[in-house]
Amino acid sequence: MHIMEGFLPWQWCLVWWIIALPCLMLGIYQLKKVLNGDREALPLLGVTGGFIFILSSLKLPSVTGSCSHPTGTGLSTISFGPWITAVVCAIVLLFQSLFLAHGGLSVLGANIVSMGIVGPLVGYGIYRLLRDTSVNIYITVFLVTALADMFTYVTTSLELALAYPAETGGLVSSFILFMGIFAVTQVPLAIVEGIVLALVFKYILTLKPDILIRLGVFSKEKIEAARSEI
Amino acid sequence: MTYKYTLELLAGIAIIAFCALFLYTSATMSGAEFAGSDNVGSGLIAELSGIPLENFQPLIPQWEPPSGEIESCLFALQAAIGGILIGGVFGFWFGQARRKTAE
Repeated sequence: MHIMEGFLPWQWCLVWWIIALPCLMLGIYQLKKVLNGDREALPLLGVTGGFIFILSSLKLPSVTGSCSHPTGTGLSTISFGPWITAVVCAIVLLFQSLFLAHGGLSVLGANIVSMGIVGPLVGYGIYRLLRDTSVNIYITVFLVTALADMFTYVTTSLELALAYPAETGGLVSSFILFMGIFAVTQVPLAIVEGIVLALVFKYILTLKPDILIRLGVFSKEKIEAARSEI
Repeated sequence: MTYKYTLELLAGIAIIAFCALFLYTSATMSGAEFAGSDNVGSGLIAELSGIPLENFQPLIPQWEPPSGEIESCLFALQAAIGGILIGGVFGFWFGQARRKTAE
């Protein structure tokens, strides 16, 4: 999902930076509040952030004959919400732009918006929608993770289509072309990522249900039910 | 608490299916280079804008890993940081849970 350095006109770089910065500031503020409020939150942040580190470094082959990487933002989105997730993503993306020439400092804003903000926001929407229903916790985690991953790539396609509308057909046909590269490749990866992170969530539930209850991630009853269920 | 391994099983099946799909594509699809989709995307940008790929210069000067080896080394480092975090915390939680049951 990285837009490469130099491949986005500076006007668009600026637009995405302006959108990304207030979200990051909100995330840093929330992060301070959560960590000061509950010391047990730090290990959970370590695990959910760790998965963003690992999964975004794995470039996996897909059915389209090209490679792409999952985002791993689902667990963090469910546990801490999209804004804190954006901060963790910004750290990962900064590492990748400084040392790996994946993305770059000028396009960092755009990449934070796709991986750290829009993807997690979509995931968070699904989570809030399903949290208080009778839908199984693991199905919720699967959907949040897979859709946060997918929508990261949809956003990248949109960012590029906005900057490079096709001569014939304009924005829409350019968007479809970029979706063909980014989103189609991502479908199998997003499904596998969703299942794997649902499994990881099971281990968190088994070992440390109290922190999830205290942070209000799911209700006590629902967590108890999920623990006895699987 | 009853242990059932439904999710483990599903994850295993998903990973095996993913590998099978990869083997199938790499064997049957001609011209599949498995390049990064980022680079494929950059190619499309060049095509849409009519500007040759070489003409895209970084807006902010950027350090590039001198070779693929160094790049994969740094990617492995990134994954290692994540792995240490996850392993450390799960170990910590596991210890906590055990002490709790011992008390």
